[in-house]
Amino acid sequence: MKERTLLVIVLLTVALLAAGFWVAQNVNLMPAEASTRAALVDQLFRAMLGLAAVIFLLVEGLLLYSVLRFRRPRGDEGDAVPVHGNRELEIVWTLIPALIVVVIGFYSFRVLAASEMREADPIVVNVDSRQFSWSFEYPAEGVTSTDLHLPLGRQARFLITSTDVIHSFWVPEFRVKRDATPGQIAELLVTPSRLGTYPVRCAELCGVGHASMGLTSQVFVESEADFQAWLEAQAAFPSDPIAAGRALFGRNGCSACHALADAGAIGIIGPGLDALADPASAHASMHGADLRTYVEQSIVDPSAVVVEGFSDGLMPKDFGTRIPANELAILVDYLIAHK
Amino acid sequence: MTATASTTTAPAWRRYFGWSTDHKVIGVQYLVTSFFFFLVGGAMAGMIRTQLLAPDSTLVSAEAYNRLTTNHGSVMLFLWILPVLAGLGNYLIPLQIGARDMAFPRLNALSFWLLVPSGLLMLASFFVGAAEAGWTAYVPLSVAGPDGQTLWAISVVLLGTSSMMGSINFVTTIFTMRTAGMTFWRMPLFTWSMLATSILVLTATPVLTAGLVLIAMDRLVGTLFFSVPAGGDPILWQNLFWFYSHPAVYIMVLPAMGAVSEIFPVFSRKPVFGYKMIAFSSLAISLLGLTVWAHHMFTSGMDPRLRVPYMISTMIIAVPTGVKIFSWLATIWGGKLRLDTPMLFALGFISMFLIGGITGVFLAAIPIDLHVHDTYFVVAHLHFVLFGGSVSGAYAALYYWYPKITGRRLDERLGKVHFAANFIGTNLAYLPMFLAGLLGMPRRVVNYDPRFTELNQLASLGAFLLAASVLPFLYNVIVSWVSGPKAGDNPWRAKTLEWKTSSPPPAYNFDTPPVVTEGPYDYGEAAQGSLAPSPSAAGD
Amino acid sequence: MTSHNITHEDEFRAGRELSLDHRKLGMWLFLASEVMFFGGLIGTFLHYKATIPSPESAELDTVLVGINTFVLITSSLMVVLGLDSIRRGSRRGLLTYLGLTALLGVVFLGGQGYEFVSLYGHGIALTSSVFGSSFFTLTGFHGLHVLIGVAWALLTLGKALRGTYSAQDHVGVEAFGLYWHFVDIVWIVLFTIIYLI
Repeated sequence: MKERTLLVIVLLTVALLAAGFWVAQNVNLMPAEASTRAALVDQLFRAMLGLAAVIFLLVEGLLLYSVLRFRRPRGDEGDAVPVHGNRELEIVWTLIPALIVVVIGFYSFRVLAASEMREADPIVVNVDSRQFSWSFEYPAEGVTSTDLHLPLGRQARFLITSTDVIHSFWVPEFRVKRDATPGQIAELLVTPSRLGTYPVRCAELCGVGHASMGLTSQVFVESEADFQAWLEAQAAFPSDPIAAGRALFGRNGCSACHALADAGAIGIIGPGLDALADPASAHASMHGADLRTYVEQSIVDPSAVVVEGFSDGLMPKDFGTRIPANELAILVDYLIAHK
Repeated sequence: MTATASTTTAPAWRRYFGWSTDHKVIGVQYLVTSFFFFLVGGAMAGMIRTQLLAPDSTLVSAEAYNRLTTNHGSVMLFLWILPVLAGLGNYLIPLQIGARDMAFPRLNALSFWLLVPSGLLMLASFFVGAAEAGWTAYVPLSVAGPDGQTLWAISVVLLGTSSMMGSINFVTTIFTMRTAGMTFWRMPLFTWSMLATSILVLTATPVLTAGLVLIAMDRLVGTLFFSVPAGGDPILWQNLFWFYSHPAVYIMVLPAMGAVSEIFPVFSRKPVFGYKMIAFSSLAISLLGLTVWAHHMFTSGMDPRLRVPYMISTMIIAVPTGVKIFSWLATIWGGKLRLDTPMLFALGFISMFLIGGITGVFLAAIPIDLHVHDTYFVVAHLHFVLFGGSVSGAYAALYYWYPKITGRRLDERLGKVHFAANFIGTNLAYLPMFLAGLLGMPRRVVNYDPRFTELNQLASLGAFLLAASVLPFLYNVIVSWVSGPKAGDNPWRAKTLEWKTSSPPPAYNFDTPPVVTEGPYDYGEAAQGSLAPSPSAAGD
Repeated sequence: MTSHNITHEDEFRAGRELSLDHRKLGMWLFLASEVMFFGGLIGTFLHYKATIPSPESAELDTVLVGINTFVLITSSLMVVLGLDSIRRGSRRGLLTYLGLTALLGVVFLGGQGYEFVSLYGHGIALTSSVFGSSFFTLTGFHGLHVLIGVAWALLTLGKALRGTYSAQDHVGVEAFGLYWHFVDIVWIVLFTIIYLI
């Protein structure tokens, strides 16, 4: 090979590799890193991005160069010099990609193994998914909530399932998701590493409320002290009936589908509930003294009366058994009298 | 060189609307029908991207949106890409191997006509509540869905049957009807790619059929295959579905790769570099493609140990794919490039498929997939390989073989406008989606977090540009067919057999069966025994 | 008018060089896809067999269905003998053995029907459990294939009566034979995984 050609190839290779390194160090396309596994994933991602940049620039560069350099000269209708193949070159461009693939595969395996190592004394959280809300249960602490609170630095062991269709529990800042499959429990290990509030998103199409499942839940990574304080607050039941009703409204995931200004809920899958507490509304006049009965029935037997414009079959039918009778009474009172 | 036959006119247009066993008529029927569904699927995409212009738009209800995304995917995959490539195969295989028709002409006609009820059923599903569980139809959601889901399942079974019938024809024809001198190593690469594709069709499609039968039975008859209370396993559906649907993506890209393999030598005036390796790589992709399906299930809760073998097999496919890309680059390197529209689309194919392929390796890496699975990162990846890849390849093929099929030339300026709008539109539509997915936007969402607004608006802009880009193409195709300049037998001066007969070809393709004495891409060689008339041509 | 001066044999010259008859190759390819279809259903059955206890299996009548299996295997033998007959030019032999094939196929279907009814009597039906769903779907699709086979046998018999086949050309009989053997082999697999293990 001519010296000049060799020099060009060496220089181009160096330039490409430099570009790759620069991309790997400086290009950040991910959201905040909030778990220990996120840091590992991002390292892998940046390395692959650098490599991808090299390959991309190489191939697109060769393509562009060829298009510019080898255009048919005007008036030249002849054939080009025939080259059918080159064994050495073909071996090289088979082996080098194979090698790259082996390296990436191995590195990915290492990251995966490191991400899923068990730590001592994890905090166990049962993640129950349903159309269209999340429910996080802390069995050891006896707390259930629609928000996910986690102590910083302590591994969370999620046990994820669904009661109806497949959902998928995803926290982008944690860099991991796991499907919630009915009839099965999937384990997920995450150690939060950054204080903050992060969204939860459903990542498996689950019906009309798929996009709004994230509206009702957030992840709060907080200090151990704040976490304990939260646990205690959850366990204690507010004595004020309005606050208690509001808490029950949140805990049972009502805001996934209903709007209620007092509770800050903006769900649109089911009818808005603000009118229930308004004595001048149609509900009051329609039901009069039976408003209480109507609201309770709407919770435990959703199919009995379906409001015009909304679909039957979406509201869970098991609230009657899920909510203890005394709490149901508090909730109903709240809905008709919270103003 | 065989003396060219007298110019023949295309069959009377009426023939295209009825039952014909002529593979050329059937091929055109496939092409036109599938392009109609491309427009239908595209209209659905237009509605989706309009909805996504704003993060909280109420233009489309959540229910309607799920139906749009489900059917956009299903129509594009089952009623556009699969049949348009099958149609190209149908038209070209007998011509490329020097045969007068397919091995089973009546089966061939039937395989086209199955498209009609299949398409009608999918369209009809909108009248009874269209399928809304995604083109992936995961259970239990799809078992409980509206009546249109059943029509959807039947539609896909019909399409799969059509596909399998076509492949039986392709394989049999290629093995038993090659003309004298057409050894396997002298077969054009497009025909090779159809052979590799057919292996996948015959192996994988029936498994999807089985799965669809199970869903249909659960819905119609009350069987308990996917009833969780009875012990049914939703993951079983995922395995049955992806066993087909992963190889399906290779079914959708291999013929497009075959087409661009044909175009590069012709428009570089150079032989294909590494012909045998390209042929082998098609087979390798085909066979490897059957071993990777569970990479769609890394987040499903599948046994963690089983994930790694699938990661490995998936990454390995990058190797034969790379072989193709490098061989194509080496083909054009040092050539005398003519940048006519077929060549532009073929070059666009490489540049955009590269992005799709590279991001596929990202997805194969399990730790990365656990983050980006079921997000817009995947939507971007799939559109780069299927739109930037397969559709570009299909366009390249259509521009390249249009003169042969119709006997007319397409307008080059309109072609270049189409290419530019397509190339820019594709990149603008799908590059922002990678970012949206990485930052946290899931798939199949009617509304989204406002932080993704600008990315979505850029993507929608690109999509509208793509919609507009179809117009010059349609205009070009229709007007040129009626009044374009005559093409002659071999306007591109290519060497594969289809160019050795008239444009369009006569009823039985060749006046006398060709005898082959050279390879299909021997440019630059002194003409030594090129095509000679059959020694036994003793007159009619 | 342009004519094509390729005779039928010339068309398939490449196939002859590879010793491949296109009609038989087509049949092999079709059967390959059918194997994969049954593979999907068999995979389903085995998956649930491994993951859900099925007390219903105790009601399966292995002896009866074992005899039925023997009937089906014998019918395959009849096909072999029929093919052998026509290879020697004996149209009468072909007719006899095709008739026996169809007859034994019908007997098999009868036996399957009896087993189905008996299971139904024990409360095991298509919709009664996952086992019921997978058992009846798998054996039902197989039975459907046998039924189509019987019809095909009779069609072939009808063609044989009209003298369609000879010692030199009986590809249609071979194609039928391939299908029938496939149906038989699938049954042997089914019998093994459902009744024996």
